[in-house]
This record gives sequence, C-alpha cells and structure tokens, in this order.
Amino acid sequence: MTDPAVKVSGVWKVFGPRADEAMAAIKAEGLTKPEVLERFGCVVGVQDASFEVPRGEIFCIMGLSGSGKSTLVRHVNRLIEPTAGTIELLGQNVNDMSPGELRQVRAQTIGMVFQHMALMPHRSVRDNVAYPLEIRKVTKSKRWAISDHALSLVDLVGYEDRLPRELSGGMQQRVGIARALASDPEILLMDEPFSALDPLIRLQLQDQFKALVAQLQKTTLFITHDLDEAIRIGHRIAIMKDGIIVQIGTPEEIVANPADDYVREFVQGISKLKLVKAHTIMQPLEKFNGSLEGAPRADEGADLDQLIDISVDSDLPVVITESGRDVGVVTKPRLLRGIQGGKE
Amino acid sequence: MTDVTVTAASDIEIDREALDASIAEFTGSNSGYYAAAFHKIHESSGAVPLTFNLAAAVLGPVWAAMRGVWGFFWGFLLLEMIAWVQIGRGAWGDLGADIFERAERQRERAAGFLERADQARQAGEDPARFETLAANLTKAAENSQVAADAAQAEALSILIVGLVLLLLLKLFQGVWSNIVYEKQYSRWRIDPDHVESGLKPRNLILGIVLVLTIAPLTVYKFTISGTPDFLNSFPADKDHYVNTANWLEGHIDAAALGGAGAFDSIVAAVRAVLDALTIALIGTPWPVVMAVICVVAWRAAGPRVAIFTAGALAYIAFLGYWEISMETVALVGAAVIICVSFGIPFGIWFGKSKRAYKFAEPVLDLMQTLPAFVYLIPIIAFFGTGNPPGILATIIFGMPPVIRLTALGMRGVPENIKEAATAFGATRWQLLRDVEVPLALPSIMAGVNQTILMCLSMVVIISLIGGGGLGKVILEALQYAAKGPGLLGGFAILFCAMVIDRIVQGGFRRADQK
Repeated sequence: MTDPAVKVSGVWKVFGPRADEAMAAIKAEGLTKPEVLERFGCVVGVQDASFEVPRGEIFCIMGLSGSGKSTLVRHVNRLIEPTAGTIELLGQNVNDMSPGELRQVRAQTIGMVFQHMALMPHRSVRDNVAYPLEIRKVTKSKRWAISDHALSLVDLVGYEDRLPRELSGGMQQRVGIARALASDPEILLMDEPFSALDPLIRLQLQDQFKALVAQLQKTTLFITHDLDEAIRIGHRIAIMKDGIIVQIGTPEEIVANPADDYVREFVQGISKLKLVKAHTIMQPLEKFNGSLEGAPRADEGADLDQLIDISVDSDLPVVITESGRDVGVVTKPRLLRGIQGGKE
Repeated sequence: MTDVTVTAASDIEIDREALDASIAEFTGSNSGYYAAAFHKIHESSGAVPLTFNLAAAVLGPVWAAMRGVWGFFWGFLLLEMIAWVQIGRGAWGDLGADIFERAERQRERAAGFLERADQARQAGEDPARFETLAANLTKAAENSQVAADAAQAEALSILIVGLVLLLLLKLFQGVWSNIVYEKQYSRWRIDPDHVESGLKPRNLILGIVLVLTIAPLTVYKFTISGTPDFLNSFPADKDHYVNTANWLEGHIDAAALGGAGAFDSIVAAVRAVLDALTIALIGTPWPVVMAVICVVAWRAAGPRVAIFTAGALAYIAFLGYWEISMETVALVGAAVIICVSFGIPFGIWFGKSKRAYKFAEPVLDLMQTLPAFVYLIPIIAFFGTGNPPGILATIIFGMPPVIRLTALGMRGVPENIKEAATAFGATRWQLLRDVEVPLALPSIMAGVNQTILMCLSMVVIISLIGGGGLGKVILEALQYAAKGPGLLGGFAILFCAMVIDRIVQGGFRRADQK
C-alpha cells in the first residue's frame, strides 16, 4: 500500500487525426508546438506531464484556460486517452484496463466534480447523488441511504426531493460534490468546481471542501485557474502553461521561488503574509553584527503576518529560533522585502 | 501600455491612405474614381448618396458582370430586356400581324360563303342563309382590320415607352451602381476570399456571353411574329419519353415480381397492426370506446377538451360515421405506431452518428417534399391497393418529423452531462437510457406530435389507392360532386383530427410541466 494514489508519467496528448504520426515525429525530432500544428495539423494539449500524488494529498493543477489542465485531469479516469505515457491509480495502470475494469474504477475509485455541475435535470437531487450507485446496481434502499448521508456531508439535508434547477448555483455544486462522494471513492477529481460561482459562495465552499476532504482523507486532484484558490486548498500545486507543467511545489515554494517569469507574474499579486515563513527570509545569526539585546523572538515556522505583529512592538530585529536555539535574524528591511516577495 | 492620446470624437478622422489602399485592392483598375465615389458615399448622411457611374449607366449589366456584382447584373438585365423588347416591338415589330391575319381569314371565308350562296342560287335554292353568314363574317373582318390598324398605330407609343424606360433604367443604374458596389466592398472586407473583387476577364467574358445569348433571342422572339418553331417549344423527341417510361415500367414490374415475398410480408405485418387496432376500436362496443376516449381526453387535456370531444363524437355517431371514423383512427394509429417504433431508433442513430445523418438527410427531405401522388404509384406496383399500402404511403410522409426531432434532441443533450455519466462508469446503454433519451424526450415528443398530424393529413389521400375510412367518403362525394355528403364527411374528418390533436397536445403539455 505504498503506491501513490495517482502517478502520471510522461503523458502526452496530441489532438488531431494524425496524432500518432505527430507523436512519433515529436519524439524523433523534438518538434515544437507550432511546428506540429503546421506539419500535422495537430494540437498538442498536454506535453510530457509527470507527477505523483501521495494518498490523502490535495494536489492542485493551476493554469489559465487552454493550458491543458482539464485535458490532463481527464486522463486520470481515461475520459481522454493519452497519446503517450502512463497513468497509474493506486499502482494499477489505467491504460491497460479493459472497458469493464475501467468502468469499475470510474464507479468505485474515482469521484469527479465538474465546472458546470453537469447534474441531470430530470432527476431529483437524491437520485442525482445516487446515480453512481445506480450504475453499480446498488439496491434502491441502500443508495437512498448513502445519498442522504452524502447530502448531509455537504449540508443539503431537506433538499433531497427537489430538482437541481430549483437550487442555487452553490447548492448545485454541493450536490455535485455529494455525488462524487457517494460511492466513497479513493480519489476525487475536481474540474474547476468553484469557478462558475460568485466570490463569496466560492470562499465558503472552498473552506467547506477543505474541511470535508481533510475529514474524509480523500486524495484530490483539484483543477483551478485561480492561484488564490490553489494556495488556499492545495498541499501542493502544479502550474501549467501551454500544456507543460512549469513548476510543482508547495504554495510557499511557489510563492517564494517562482520557477520562471510566467509563474512570477502570477505570484506577484498573491499575499505572502500567511505563506512565507521566517526561515526563508532570515539571515544567519553569525552574519548579523549588531545589538540583539532584548530583541523579540519567534519560531522559524512563524509567517510574515506574525513577524509583523512582533516587530511592530520593538525597534530591534526579530531573532528566529529553531527548537529553542537562536538560528537567525529578520531585520526590518528583510521583513519588508519579504512582504514584497523576495525582491533583492 | 501604449500611450493613448485623447481626441474629441468630432476631430477623429478616418485613415484615408489605408482606406484608399484597401479600395484600390478591391477595385483593381480605376481605383481613383471608385475611391472618390466611395468616400462620397461614406460622407453622405442622406438616404441616397448621389454619385453617377457613367460606365455602369452605359454598359449596364455588362459593367455589373465585369465588376462581379451578379445580383445587379441579373436584376438589370431583366429590366433592360423589358425595355429592349418594347423598343424592338415599336421599331420593327409587326404589330397587329396576327389580328390582320385573322381579318384575311375571315374575308376568305366570307368569300367562300358568297360563292356557296351563288351556287345555291343557281341550284334554285334559297341563298339567304349563306348571304347572312358572309355578311356577318365580312363585318367581323372589318372589325379585325380596324383593330389591326389600331395596333399598328400603337407602334410609335410603344417605342417611346420603351425608350423612356431604357433611359430611366440607365439613369437608375448610374446612380445606384456605386452604392451597390460599395456594399460589395464592405462585404469583401469581411470575406475577401469569397466576395468578388477587381476586374476579372473571366467575368467580363461570361457577362458578355450571357447578354449576347439572352438579349437578341428574347427581343427577336417577342418582336417578330412567326419565329421558327424551335424557339417556341423545346425540340423534344417523343421517343425518349416513351422508351424511358417503358424501361422503368419493365424494371418496376420485375422488381415487384422478384421481391413479391418480401413485399407481401411487409403488407402482412402492417395488416396485423391495423387489424389489432381495428378490433380494439370497432370490435369493442361503441359505448365503451366513446367513454374511454372521453375519459382519456379529460385526464390528458382537461374538462374543456373532454366536452369538445363528447360533442365531436356525438356528431360522428349521429350522422352514422362511427365505424368509418374508427377505421380512420385505426389507420392513423397504425401508421403512427409504425412511424414511432422505427423513427425513434433511427433518430437516435442519426443523432449519434453524423455520417449516418448526412446520408439520411436527403432521403428524409425526399420523403417530405415528394408529392404524395408520386409515390402512390410505386406503392401500388409493389404493395397493391387497400388499407395496408395506404398506411405505408402515410408512413413515408409521416416518419421524417419524428426521426429529425429525435436526432435533434439527441444532439442537443449537453456534452458535460454525458461526460459526467461516463465518468461515473456508465455503459453506453446506461448513458442512453439514463441521460440521452430522458434529456431528448421533449424534442422526441414534439416529433411524435408532428408525425401524428402529418399522418392525419395523409389519411384522406390514401383513399385514392383503395384506403378506407372517411377519406373514401370524401373521394366518393368528390367524384359525384355531392356537396352535402362531402361537407358532412369533411367535418367528420376535421373533428377526428381536432380531437386527436387536442388530446395529444394536452398530454404532452402535462408531460412537459412535470
């Protein structure tokens, strides 16, 4: 049971009638995207994507529209066939599955939530949530019980017999989440679930979702075009651009050390106060020559927000401690630069 | 960010150079003139910008062809033809020639009668009868002569009318051509690959050839009396027609004979459906059927339709149309059942497969546009006469709507809902049953309703090939021009149709509201 929940290795997706030829040419000659388009009329959707998601992690894939993030995530349950590369779910290769096995995996191991809810308008909320169970031929009494439970997880008790169109957008998306949870899957695929909602509802649902997933211990692949959302929800984030994964890392790593200008531009507008920790901006104790007499102390895990609170009350720099031992110093200039985002 | 200079709207000027370059690219030759003309059109705020294009005025349709303005070409070619025909008739036309000929003939016949009067007189009989006839004819001949002279005198006025018309048309073309051409320029800017531009020799030659073939022949035909025969009617060879018809007939006969087994079993299957319905509607005691129909109307469409239904049934029953009406309903019912049970699966298939739909679409169009009388004949050849072939003819006409609307509904099912069902592990069959058909249902229902109405309208026509029911009543009344029975039977059909339509529509409306 040490296999990662999801392991994507070297996945390519080329769209077009001559995709296989194009793929061979890419491998042999290393063509660029425009060249592929010109020579084969094929569009490269995903370019050599590899990542692993350990169990229980929320892994965000962030990118703008057209960056291939939705395409990439649809490889996980093989709604889209990869042109090259392999995808493993809990150690099982998805590509090798027979149609029957694949349906089995889709029904039991993976739950998916869609941007536009994709609820069936002619079924009640309860029957929508129960649909994955109905596909697996679970008895009606059982599936009603399970779907009522799933609806209670997303705070929708009392709406079971309504039709989806009678619910607001946020409630509909909660129905979508309940549907994904109904078959108690190991893995959740969230395809921009909150993008179509208004900002307040979105914040609320993000918090609800994060708490729910933490409680249920679900491995989650979360697609979003909103870096704020990715940072708020994800344990780790992959940033995609034009089909390529540009950077993978924890929110702090990405904010503190953007891999290239593209990521840097994204990160610029992000508030670092809660993300950047003292140990990233401190200077070693031995390089500091000045008086630290009576200076305030903070743990190396303290974030900028806390450091600001501490240094407001004192004219001296803040001494950073690691398990009780002094290791570094954060001076006011360093703190201010840290807030700006590590500008030298 | 680029620097933005703020300018008042009234001071903003169009970039003349770029515009002129683009106009030059569009017009090809003579771009200076057209640039100026287009500018004038662009500057004008009135309804009709006043520019005058001399080339368009003088050359008329030839200018339009040369510039690729084909709508203008055809419109003004037609109008100029009218003017030219008037001018031709006025200038060279033998006006009144036919009337003059008639006068000649009348005179000759009068002379003939006078001769016979002479003979009669010589034979000692009474010549008065012939003399009266001759006198009458002479009078008629004189009248014709006067008319012919008058027609000839009209020549000058026709000529003048023609000339004035031509002049007006030329003026109109001169003024209008630049406006039309500028519109074409605007379209060309949007779609330079498909909108004609520039001066193309091919267009010029095509235009001249068209004008030269159309104009002289038409003017000749209208101007000169006694044009050669081949201009008046197409020199068709009657043998072609006879041979082709015989060939077709032979093949149809052979096919009917060869496939007799298959055709007979189709007829038998249709007959089985029809018989079942007939037994249900006519075999069951009439009070039961009437009560059931009224209750269905009430449940499906409400009390008002139920009362209307009861009234309609009373009309039908009291006039003795009960059985024959039920036969009509059975015919329509059988046709609809067959249409729906084949049409929906076909519709689902065509909704899923674009290629299949592409092949099916012309067939569906044909089924709907072909006049019913045309396919009644092959139906008789293959299936014989009577009710079952009549139902087959009804099906041909009635099936397309349910196929089309089912396919439309299937294509309208949102992709994301289908994707969601697939993502939760649905098989293709589950996807069809749980998602596609339920979501396409409103459209399918609309198709079924359309099919019912089409079948109803067809059910009268099938009496032509021996179909029974109320259509037969109408057909008989038509044959003997019997006004009373025809009208009564017509109302019976109307009531049948209205009752079925009300009930079905009411039922669908309730289904929609759910």
